[in-house]
Amino acid sequence: MSKSFDVVVIGAGTGGYVAAIRASQLGKTVAVVERQSALGGTCLIWGCIPTKALLEHAHALKVIQQASEWGVTIPSGTPAINMTQVHARKDKIVDGLTKGIAFLFKKNKITWIKGTARLAGPGKVEVFEGDTQTLEAKEIVIATGSSPRSVAAVTIDHRRIITSDEAIHLKEVPKSLVIMGSGAVGVEFASIYRRFGSEVTIIELVNRLVPVEDEAVSTELEKSFKKQGITVLTGTKVAKATSTPSGVTVEAHPPDGKTQTISADVLLVATGRGPVTTGLGAEEAGIKMERGYIKVDELYRTSVPGVSAIGDVITLGTGVHPQLAHVSSMEGIITAERIAGKAVQPINYDHVPGCTYCDPEIGSVGLTEARASERGYDVRIGTFPFGVLGRGRMAGELEGFVKIVADRKYDEVLGVHMIGPRSTELVAEAVLALRLECTVEELIKTIHAHPTFSEAVGEAAHAAHGAAIHM
Amino acid sequence: MPTPVLMPQMGESIAEGTIVRWIKKVGDAVDRDEPLFEISTDKVDAEIPAPAAGVLTEIKVKEGETVAVNSVVATIGTSSEVSEQEPEAPPAPPPGAPSGDAVVPADVVDQPQEKAATPQRKTNGRAANASKPVEDDSRKQRSSPLVRRIARDNDVDISQIHGSGLGGRVTKNDILGYIETGIRDPGPGARENLESPGSRTPDPGSRVEIKPLSVMRKKIAEHMVMSRRTSAHVHSVFHVNFSTVERIRQQRKAEFEQSGVKLTYMAFIAKAAVSALRKFPIVNASLDGDSVIYKKDINLGIAVALESGLIVPVIKHADEKNLLGLSRAIADIANRARSKQLKPEEVHDGTFTITNPGQFGSQFGMPIINQPQVAILGIGTIEKRPIVIDDAIAIRTMAYLTLGYDHRLVDGATGDQFMAEIKEQIEHFDAERL
Repeated sequence: MSKSFDVVVIGAGTGGYVAAIRASQLGKTVAVVERQSALGGTCLIWGCIPTKALLEHAHALKVIQQASEWGVTIPSGTPAINMTQVHARKDKIVDGLTKGIAFLFKKNKITWIKGTARLAGPGKVEVFEGDTQTLEAKEIVIATGSSPRSVAAVTIDHRRIITSDEAIHLKEVPKSLVIMGSGAVGVEFASIYRRFGSEVTIIELVNRLVPVEDEAVSTELEKSFKKQGITVLTGTKVAKATSTPSGVTVEAHPPDGKTQTISADVLLVATGRGPVTTGLGAEEAGIKMERGYIKVDELYRTSVPGVSAIGDVITLGTGVHPQLAHVSSMEGIITAERIAGKAVQPINYDHVPGCTYCDPEIGSVGLTEARASERGYDVRIGTFPFGVLGRGRMAGELEGFVKIVADRKYDEVLGVHMIGPRSTELVAEAVLALRLECTVEELIKTIHAHPTFSEAVGEAAHAAHGAAIHM
Repeated sequence: MPTPVLMPQMGESIAEGTIVRWIKKVGDAVDRDEPLFEISTDKVDAEIPAPAAGVLTEIKVKEGETVAVNSVVATIGTSSEVSEQEPEAPPAPPPGAPSGDAVVPADVVDQPQEKAATPQRKTNGRAANASKPVEDDSRKQRSSPLVRRIARDNDVDISQIHGSGLGGRVTKNDILGYIETGIRDPGPGARENLESPGSRTPDPGSRVEIKPLSVMRKKIAEHMVMSRRTSAHVHSVFHVNFSTVERIRQQRKAEFEQSGVKLTYMAFIAKAAVSALRKFPIVNASLDGDSVIYKKDINLGIAVALESGLIVPVIKHADEKNLLGLSRAIADIANRARSKQLKPEEVHDGTFTITNPGQFGSQFGMPIINQPQVAILGIGTIEKRPIVIDDAIAIRTMAYLTLGYDHRLVDGATGDQFMAEIKEQIEHFDAERL
């Protein structure tokens, strides 16, 4: 067996496997080193896929809980969730998708080498798995990803104080759950376990939920969460968390300066994810790092020639690099194409969509109102609520809105922020609008089918120019 | 089957090319490899042969237009396929579009109307007004709704902007950059002074003729100004006795001619320059930020005057050639430069340049360095002159040689020692080294 490849990719997550497939499509011989027993990485095994599967279960339960509103009669008893069956269905989905990647590897003649990779000098990768083997690579792509990380005050014990890695596997629905952090992970698990029946408290250090989103979205989500019975503590710092035999005690400091003690079955730490570089030998190989992340240029070249890095493990040195599967895979494609000698262009990170699958869903792309003002645009806003739409009434989905942030001078669509039904799907139109440098005028002239949720986008565009038609 | 004609990739670093002339017209029959059109890239001008025999049925890219390599520029098919449109003809000036300064009135220029309109000066990238032809132009250039809006608000002609997006699409950044760098004062008075601050477009009625610059001319202009701005030019002039060389040349002329090569002074000078460069590697170097790049190869550029400009083809590894080899190489590149048969890689990677203003009678020249090189040798006219030898006046074949060099890297002492070495080599040319 040949141990020499054109490209060796380290990590089979969304960034790594996509880079491998693209490189192979472009005629390169490719090996992927992955230490897990399945392909797919965080997204498939612990992240996007399992959490979104759980959220679909939560949604199914929600519809059934509201059966009487819909004139659906359920013979007897209260609808309930069976976690064993939930996990079985979710695991089957994950299993099917990871096998799908194994199939794609076979189809594209990509060699999967199981083990832990270490950079062993120019063009060499050592793989440990029982014994050691050395691969030769003309180009190396590091796609080792990220893992959940905590804050100094809280130690994860994986039993009472857990991360998302454990939260996707909880055998029973906890009676009470405290969630630290209200990014995508925090609010999604809040939605899942609140729907499944937990008492949920969400604690956020910043003064609003989902701090990366537009403020209007945060406000709307907080309103909805409170209506659903989720306790929202914003501007609150977790000072201490202690596991007890029966649960966990969390000491929090809300903005009023008092100390609040919350007891719960489980504390989920969702304060962010840090880079995975343990054992990789990146620094020894001379690769420039920044705060633990691998520093790359806009085409994902590290400081060492022949070594690229993509995905959650990198920093471009320009603000926060989004740790999102779709960003990693695009970076993987760009890197593979660059290696294969194709002309490539850097990603515009202002055009990266963000989707959060909490209930109600959030989809957004581009600049928030605050960010657009900071950048000096003369901002104008158009907002339209889903509840006004015929489709919204029919679906019983009355929450949320579409908000368009535009530049008054040239009418450019700078950002689109939506919270409410199908927002994670509806945002696609907005992503294309930004990518193609659309004006609000063009959105107005775009025909939105009736009756659909997408009408809210057209109406929000009208609103940005003065007045929506149906309001 | 129609055959598409592509803009060729003339060398690795070439991304686009400009069609300067269509040699064939739509409807003309062409043979395979018959010259079809002439292109100008940032490296070289060349005639491009037809990829197949047939009839030129369609020309997609007009003269003067620049397209990416591998773009389809024309189609060769059978005569029945001739397209009705013949876009190669320059479009008639749009009615009302030529403002006073755009086209010189025919009556003040002593040539037919048609010719006067041909150069059709662009109004520096700004749409003359919102007339229809301009709108059509902007449609041809891919852009975005936002770009069209910005173009409208700022009265910018999108077709004048280089698009950096996919497929050459003009993006927001492209047009904002264009506006920022191209138009400082968007008022109507700003128009005339855009390209060359200080120069004014002549008033209508002035006895002038206005012609657009050729691609080559623009490149030369940019390159020369860039060089003047980059290097600290100094010049040293040496008076060199060519009598020995002249004697050898007369003796060996016939022998060389049998090999099909004319033995010229240039070959001797090139030979002398090569050995001086070997001795003074700093003259065969370039400056890159805080480092000196010493070039191991000696690649000799020879400036060749063309009807329409100037080109500097390069003799690679000139140090590996003897006098016969150098003579042959100089004749070859000069001929091919004049007949536009050079390949783009033949104008790359020069490490030192020789230019010959003397061929037109100049006593000596003060040449500008060909960047990123650090020196250039100018040859003055070679003629018999009275000189003093042993307190007697003698008549000898003499020439002034000038070295233009970059004082950032080469000091006067080095420059003069380098020239002294060339002088020494020429005056005591070793006939054994032929």
